[in-house]
Amino acid sequence: MDSFLTSRIVTDILSGLTNGVVYGLVALSLVLVWRSTRILNFAQGAMPMFATYLGMGLLSYHFGYWACVVISIAAGFAIGGVTERVLVRGLYGKPEINPIVVMVGFLIVLEAVAAAIWSTLPRGLPSPFSPIDWQIGGKPFAMSDFSVYEIVTALVVMTAVALLFRFTKLGLQLRAAALAPEVSRLLGVRVGRMLTLGWMLSTAVGTITTVLVASNFFTGLTPQVMDGIFAFGFIAAAVGGLDSPVGAIISGVVMGIILQFVGDFLNSNAIILVALAILIVSLMVRPNGIFTKSTARRV
Amino acid sequence: MTISSNRRHVFVTAVFLGLAVVASFLLTSNGHSALVLGLMTALFVIGVSVLRIPGLHTNHPVVARGALTVAALVATLIATYFLSATTNFNLATGAAMSIVLLGLSFLTGASGQISLGNSAFMGVGAFAMAIWANHHTTTPIVVSLLIAVIAGALVGLLLGLPATRLRGPYLAGMTLAFAVAFGAILASFNSWTGGDAGLQLPTAVTPPHWLTSLYQSGTSLLTTNTMWLADISIVATGVAFFFMGNLFASRTGRAMRLIRDNDVAAELVGVSLPRTRVIAFVISSAYAALGGALWTLINNSVSPSTYSFALSITILSLVVIGGIGTIPGALIGGLIYAYSSAVISWIVTQTGLKPQGNFASQMNGIIFGVLLIVVMLFAPMGISGAVLRAWRKRRSHLRG
Repeated sequence: MDSFLTSRIVTDILSGLTNGVVYGLVALSLVLVWRSTRILNFAQGAMPMFATYLGMGLLSYHFGYWACVVISIAAGFAIGGVTERVLVRGLYGKPEINPIVVMVGFLIVLEAVAAAIWSTLPRGLPSPFSPIDWQIGGKPFAMSDFSVYEIVTALVVMTAVALLFRFTKLGLQLRAAALAPEVSRLLGVRVGRMLTLGWMLSTAVGTITTVLVASNFFTGLTPQVMDGIFAFGFIAAAVGGLDSPVGAIISGVVMGIILQFVGDFLNSNAIILVALAILIVSLMVRPNGIFTKSTARRV
Repeated sequence: MTISSNRRHVFVTAVFLGLAVVASFLLTSNGHSALVLGLMTALFVIGVSVLRIPGLHTNHPVVARGALTVAALVATLIATYFLSATTNFNLATGAAMSIVLLGLSFLTGASGQISLGNSAFMGVGAFAMAIWANHHTTTPIVVSLLIAVIAGALVGLLLGLPATRLRGPYLAGMTLAFAVAFGAILASFNSWTGGDAGLQLPTAVTPPHWLTSLYQSGTSLLTTNTMWLADISIVATGVAFFFMGNLFASRTGRAMRLIRDNDVAAELVGVSLPRTRVIAFVISSAYAALGGALWTLINNSVSPSTYSFALSITILSLVVIGGIGTIPGALIGGLIYAYSSAVISWIVTQTGLKPQGNFASQMNGIIFGVLLIVVMLFAPMGISGAVLRAWRKRRSHLRG
C-alpha cells in the first residue's frame, strides 16, 4: 500500500491535481467574464497579478500574510469593477476584435507598469504552509501542507461561486442579466451593475488563484507569473466550453493531470505541445466546448 | 482622352525624363553609377506618368497598382543609396515588418479574424530560411525566401483548418497558445534549430558586383551590404504589397469583406465560409513567414528568443496604430517599428530616467500598450483611417 501511494502514477495524479485546480480556477474566472459580457478577457492573468502586488506590497509594512491576502482580494474586486466601468463599457456591441485588442493592450500596460514599479525579479511570499512533500515509509508522497492549502482553497472558491449563482437572489440576477439583458432590465434588474459585478467576481477569483500560485515557494510573484498559466487556463476553458463553469473546472483538473503525465513520461517541452494539440482537436470536434449544450448563435 | 492632352502628357514626361538623366549625372561620382541612377529615375518618371493617365484607375486597376508600386519602389531604392548604414538597416527591418503587418491587417480587415500567433509564423519563416540555407548553401536568395513562405503557408494551413470553425475569441486564444508554445516547439527540434543559440547563415549576403561598383572605392563593406539588404527587403515588400492590393480588390477579397460584415449573409449568397477563412489565414501566415525570413537574412542569424509572444503583441499594436485593414496602415506601422527604439530612447533621455532603470526598460511596453488601448477606443481605424477621414471631410467641404 505504501509503495502504491508513493508510486510514479499516484505521484503524477496528485501533482497534476494540484496544478489542475489552478487551471480550473483560471478557466472559471474566464468563464465568469465570458458569460456576463461575451468578452474573452486576455488581461485575466494580468489584472489579478496587479491586485496581488498591491496587496502583498503591504508585507513590507509589517502586515501579516492573511491580512495581505484579504487586501489583495479586495484590490481584485476593485480592479475588476473599475476596468469594466472605464475600459470595457464602451466596447459592448462593437466588432468582436475590439475588446480583444483593448484587453491585450491592458495586459501589456499592467505587466510593464508592474515591472517598472516592482521590477521583474521574483518576490517570495511568506507562505504559512510548508511546500515539502509528506513522507510515507521514508519515501515522498506527492502532497504537502501547501498543496492541501491550494486544493482546499480552490474547492471553497468553486463551491462559493456555485452557491452564489444557484441559491441567492443576486446569483439569479447575474444569470438573468447575462442571458436576457433586455427582459431583465424590464423586470427591474440593474443590468449594468450586474455586468460590473461579474467582472469584479471574476477578477477576485483570479486574485485568489494568483495568490496561490505566487505563494508557492518555487515560483514567487513576478509581473509575468500568470502568463503561462493563463494559456493553460484558456485552453481548459475553451475545451470545456466558455459557457460552462462546471466544464471549465473539470477540464482544468483533467488537463492538469494529463499534462503532469506528459511532463513525467515524455519531457517538459511536450507539455504545452500536447495542450495545444488537445485544444486544436477538441475545437475541431466540438467548437463550442465539450460541456456546452446549445450551439445556437444570435445573428 | 483627347489627342492634345495626350501629346502634352508625353511632352511633360519627356521633359522630366531629361531632367532626371541630367540630375543623375550631376549628382553621382562616376559614369557607371550615373547610368544606374539615370535608369532608375527614368523608371520612376515613367511610373508616375503612367499613373497620371486619366481613367487608368477605373479601366486598368492592375496597371495602375503596378505603376504605383514601381514608382514607390524605385524612389525608395534610390534613397537607400544616399542613406547611412544604420538608417538602411532600420529601413530593412521595418520593411520586413510591414509585410507581416500587411498579412495580419488583411486577415483582420478582410475577414474579421484576429491572430495572436504572428510571432510564431514569423519564426517559422525565419527558421525555415536558416535551416534551408545551412543544408543547401548554393540556393539563390529568392528561392530560399520562397521556401520560407511555403513553410509558413503549410503551418498556417495546419492551424487554419480548425480555425475555419472558430469565431473571434477562440481563434485569438488558439493562436495565442501557438505563440506561447513556439519556444517549446523549437526546443523539441534542437538538432535542427540550434537550441537556445539559434542558427547562423553559412555565408553572409553580399551585394552583386555591379552594385558595389556604384560606390567609390574604399566605401566600407557595411555600407554596401546594408544597402543591398535594404534593397532586397524593399523589393520583397513592393511585391508583397502589389499582390495584396490586387487580392483586396479581387472576388476573393470581396468575399472576405462580406464574411467580415455578415457571415450569414455571405453564406446565403454562396461564399464558402470555411474555404475563404482558410485562404485568409494561410495568406497571413505566409506573409508573416516572409517577414521572418527577411529578418534572418538581414541579421545573418536567427535566435529563438526573438520570436516570443511579446513580438506578437508588438505586431498587433503596430497594425492597430497604423490602421487595421488598410494597406497604407501596414506601411505606417512598419515605419513606426523601424524608428520606435530610437524614439523611445529619445523619450527616456528627455524625461531624465535612468537608462538602465526599471521604468526605462519598460517604456516600450507602456507606450505601445497605452497607444493600443487609446487608438482602439477612440480611433479604431488607426492613423491611416483618421487621415483618410479628415481628407474626405475636407474634400466634401470644398465641393460644398
